[in-house]
Amino acid sequence: MSKLTLIEITQDEIDLDALLSRITSVNTGAAAIFTGLVRGFTQNGRQNVTEYLEYEAYQPMAEEKMKQVAEEIRIKWPDVEGIAMVQRVGRLFPQTPTVMIACSAAHRNTGVFEAARYGIDRLKEIVPVWKKEVGPNGEAWVEGEHIHEIRK
Amino acid sequence: MNVKVLLFATLRDRAGSKFLELEIPDAMNVGDLKHRIATDFPTLRESMNSVLVAINREYAFDEGLIPVNAEIAMFPPVSGG
Repeated sequence: MSKLTLIEITQDEIDLDALLSRITSVNTGAAAIFTGLVRGFTQNGRQNVTEYLEYEAYQPMAEEKMKQVAEEIRIKWPDVEGIAMVQRVGRLFPQTPTVMIACSAAHRNTGVFEAARYGIDRLKEIVPVWKKEVGPNGEAWVEGEHIHEIRK
Repeated sequence: MNVKVLLFATLRDRAGSKFLELEIPDAMNVGDLKHRIATDFPTLRESMNSVLVAINREYAFDEGLIPVNAEIAMFPPVSGG
């Protein structure tokens, strides 16, 4: 198959099955899918309740940076065929998938697991998306910790 | 030259606006622009310590010069995923 890269920032529900079908072909034997979800409870020193997260993106740059991550994956794991990378934005409640990275290939030993892991790690480092956590005690922006990776 | 700086997340909240417009000298660098914003917009002063800057949708660093008609954006460390 041609090496399809699917990049999307969307307000809509992430449809894992539909996205998977777009990056697979009759030659595909394996796909590794990572999805991140909103947690309703977190322990950050003390119990914390999340009602929802509000995601926003600097959309044009976020799309370009997601394409960059996909290109990096293709250099590191040339046997990966399809790559789907989707970030959902807007108001997202606990148990909702917020992001998906899927990598497909002919076999599982082509690097698909590592490629998907790399994809989510890089997305969290360089793609300009932010989330605000809203709970019973108010709201707070979550700020990332990857300033040094970007600056080096 | 006149520039528009797009703001996101905490910066937008602190500024109370989605963008800033200001007049800067030609060939100003990113570090000087950050100092200028810290001076002119006190609510953003603290944010300038950890701010990320993008010029034409690519990360830019203090020594980088601001080209004419650039799309400039400022935002906190990213927290997507």
